Amino acid sequence: MSDTEKGISRRSVLKGAAVGGIGLAAGGSLLAGCAKSKVTGDINFTIRGNLSDAGSKIAIAVNDAYTAKSGNKVISQAVNSDDFQNNFVQIMQGTPDDAFGWMAGWRTNARADAGLLADLSDQVAALGSSLSAAAVQGATNPADGKQYIIPTTYYPWGLHYRKSTMTELGLNPESIATWDDLIKLCEATQKKGLVGYALGDKGGWEAMGTFDILNMRLNGYQFHIDLLNGKEQWTDPKVVEVFNYMGQLIPFMNKNVLDISWDGMRDLLLQKKCGAMMMGSWFANDFLAKSQEDYDDLWIVPFPEINPEHGVDSIDAPLDGIAVAANGKNVEGGKELAEFWGSKEGIDAAVAAGDTNIYISSEFDSSSYDAFNNQKLAVLGAAKNIGFFLDRDTRGDFAGPVVGPAIQSFLKNPKDLTKILDNTQAQWDALPAL
Amino acid sequence: MKTAAANKKIRSRRTLSKNDRFTLAAFIGIPTLMQIIFLWLPALITIVLSFTYWNGINVGDIKWAGIANYKNIFFGTPVFYEALKNNAIWLLWFTFIATPLGILLAYQIDRKIKGHKLYETVFYIPVVLSLAIIGIIWNFMFQPGGFIQGIMGRDIGNAISIWGNYDINTYVIMGVASWRHIGYIMLLYLAGLKSVDSSLREASAIDGATEWQTFRKIVLPAMRPVNIIIVVITIIESLRAFDLVYIIYGTSTAWPLLNILVFQNFAGQGISMKGAAYAVILLVLCVGPILLYLRAVFKEDLK
Repeated sequence: MSDTEKGISRRSVLKGAAVGGIGLAAGGSLLAGCAKSKVTGDINFTIRGNLSDAGSKIAIAVNDAYTAKSGNKVISQAVNSDDFQNNFVQIMQGTPDDAFGWMAGWRTNARADAGLLADLSDQVAALGSSLSAAAVQGATNPADGKQYIIPTTYYPWGLHYRKSTMTELGLNPESIATWDDLIKLCEATQKKGLVGYALGDKGGWEAMGTFDILNMRLNGYQFHIDLLNGKEQWTDPKVVEVFNYMGQLIPFMNKNVLDISWDGMRDLLLQKKCGAMMMGSWFANDFLAKSQEDYDDLWIVPFPEINPEHGVDSIDAPLDGIAVAANGKNVEGGKELAEFWGSKEGIDAAVAAGDTNIYISSEFDSSSYDAFNNQKLAVLGAAKNIGFFLDRDTRGDFAGPVVGPAIQSFLKNPKDLTKILDNTQAQWDALPAL
Repeated sequence: MKTAAANKKIRSRRTLSKNDRFTLAAFIGIPTLMQIIFLWLPALITIVLSFTYWNGINVGDIKWAGIANYKNIFFGTPVFYEALKNNAIWLLWFTFIATPLGILLAYQIDRKIKGHKLYETVFYIPVVLSLAIIGIIWNFMFQPGGFIQGIMGRDIGNAISIWGNYDINTYVIMGVASWRHIGYIMLLYLAGLKSVDSSLREASAIDGATEWQTFRKIVLPAMRPVNIIIVVITIIESLRAFDLVYIIYGTSTAWPLLNILVFQNFAGQGISMKGAAYAVILLVLCVGPILLYLRAVFKEDLK
C-alpha cells in the first residue's frame, strides 16, 4: 500500500508544477468543452496488433464505450504493429485512420514536425490536472511546445526475477540495491547451473534497455539524453565505463544472447532458468496466462544503484497513448476519441475489459491493483527522471541502424569497444541535420 | 514453296488492318508504358533521391546532398562492408558449390541412375517453397527452443548458439539457401539436358570420349542458352538475397545483406536517403556483371 502512495504522491507533486503550465488553458477548454458542438461521423481507429490479442479486445471495448456515449460509430481495424511502425510515414500520407495507438517521444515529435499528426494540445488541456506534469512534458514536442499524443499508459523497465529463486538462493528479493548485490545474485544463480543475467539481443533493441539503465545509473539522466542527442560524445570515457559495466555482466549471461529475442528472455524466466533480467514489464501478462502461481512469483525492482550521485533516480518508462492523423477523414472525431481514451470513462472501460496497464491519469483507480502492479508503481515512483527507451529518445535513423548493431558488436567482441565507439560517434557525425 | 511463303509474309504485312495495328500497338504499348511507369520511373527517381536528404514526406523538403550519402556508406558505415562480404560469400558459394552440385545432380538423374525419380522428387520439393517459408522452417528447427534443439534435449538456457554464433552461422545460412538453390538449378538443367540430341552423346561415345570429355566438349556447349540463364540466375539470386535472412534476423542487421540495409534505411526511419543509395549500389552490382556476361556471350555468337 505504501508503494501506491509513493507513486501517487510523486504525481501530486509533479501535478503542482503542471498547473502553472496548463492550468489556464485547461480552464478555458473545460468550459468550451461543455458547449462544444458534438462531433459527428464515423471514426476509424487503428489497433496495432492482432484482433485476438488482449490489447485489441480492450481497445474495442474502449471504442464501444465511446460510441455508446457519443453516438459516433468507431470502426476498428487491427494491423501488424511492426508493419504499421515501419510504413508509418507512407500510411500517414495516404488515407490514414483517424486515431491510433502510438508512442510518445521521437516517433511522435518528428512526425508532428512533418505535419502528419494533429495537434492535441486542446485535448490534453481538457484532461487537465488528471495528467501528471511529467506525462504532459513527455508528450510535448520540444520543437513547438504542443502535444500530439494523448498519453494514456506507461510501463517500467526494471530488474525482473522470481521471488522463489531468490528465497532458494538465500537472498532477500528486496535487497538487490547495489551493483555488488546484483553480482552476488548472478554468481549464486550461476553456481546453481542457471543463467545469471538473462539477455537476448537478436532483435537488436533488447540490450538497449541494459545500456540505457547503466548509462543513467553511472552518468545520470541528463548525460544519457544529451548523449542520445549528440550533445555528448560516444568516445567519452564515461560511455566506455558504461560498456565496461555491461562487460562485467557478460560472463553471467546465457551463451546465446544473439540467438534469442525478448520472448526468449521471458521464457528463461518463465521456465526458472535464469536469475534476473532487465526488461519492460509488459510481458507480465504472459506469466498470468501461464498460471496465477507464476504471476505471483514474478517481481520487479529498480535496477540497483551504482553511482551514489545518481542513486536510482532515473528509469526507462516508455509512454504510450493515442495520436490522431492530420490527414484523416474525421480529424475532429479522432481528437474527441483520443480525449475519451484519456478520460475517466475511457479508462474505466479499458479496466473493465481486463487492462492491467498502468494509466497515467489520476482518475485511474489503482485500489484494485495486485501486488505486482503496485510494485511497478513503486518502481516508477522511485525515479525522478523518466526516459522513454533508447529508440524513442533518439532519432530513428540512429537508434536502429547504428546503436543496435553497435551493442550487438560489443556483445560479440567486447575487445573491439574502442573501435565500436569511434565508429558510433562517426556515424552520428555523418547524420544530416533533421 | 519458299517464294510463296515469302510472298504471303509480305502480303500479310501489307494487309495489316487498322484494327490489327491498333491491337498490336496496344499489346506492345501498354506493357511498355507500364514498365516505364512502374519500373524505370521509380528506378530513376531512386537514383536521383540517392543524392539528396529527404524524410520522404514533403517534396519541398528535399535537400541536395551531393555524394554525401555515398561517402557516408563507403567511409562511415562498417556494416556496409560486412553486407558486401556476406553477399560475396553468397555469390561464391552459389557459383562454386550450389550450382555445380545442382548440375551434377541433373546430369546423374538424366542418365537414369537407379531411383532417379525419387531423387528428382526429393531435390525438387524445396523449390516449390519460397525462401521466406524456408526461413521460417529452418528458423523453427535451429532456434533456441526449436525442434532440433529440442530433440537434443537443449532448452532455451543452454541451447546451442547457431544463428548468433559467428563461427558457423554463415555456413548454416548458406546450407539452408542451397537446399533450395540446388534443386532449382537441377530442374533447369534437367530440362536443358532433355533437349540435347542423344545422338550427339552416342557419337562422342563411339569416338572414344570419356564421360567428362563428353560433358565438357559436347553437352555443355550444346546447352549454351541454359548456361546463360543459370549464370544470370545465380548472380541475381545472390545479390537479391533478403527474405531468408530477414525472417531469421529481422532488420537488426545481425547478419547484414545489401538488401536488408536498403530495407532498414528506407523503412520509415530514415532522414538521409541512404536507403536509396544502397539500392543504387545494388542496382549497379546487379546490372554490371550481367551486362558484361551477356555482351561477351553475344560477341562470340556474332563471330
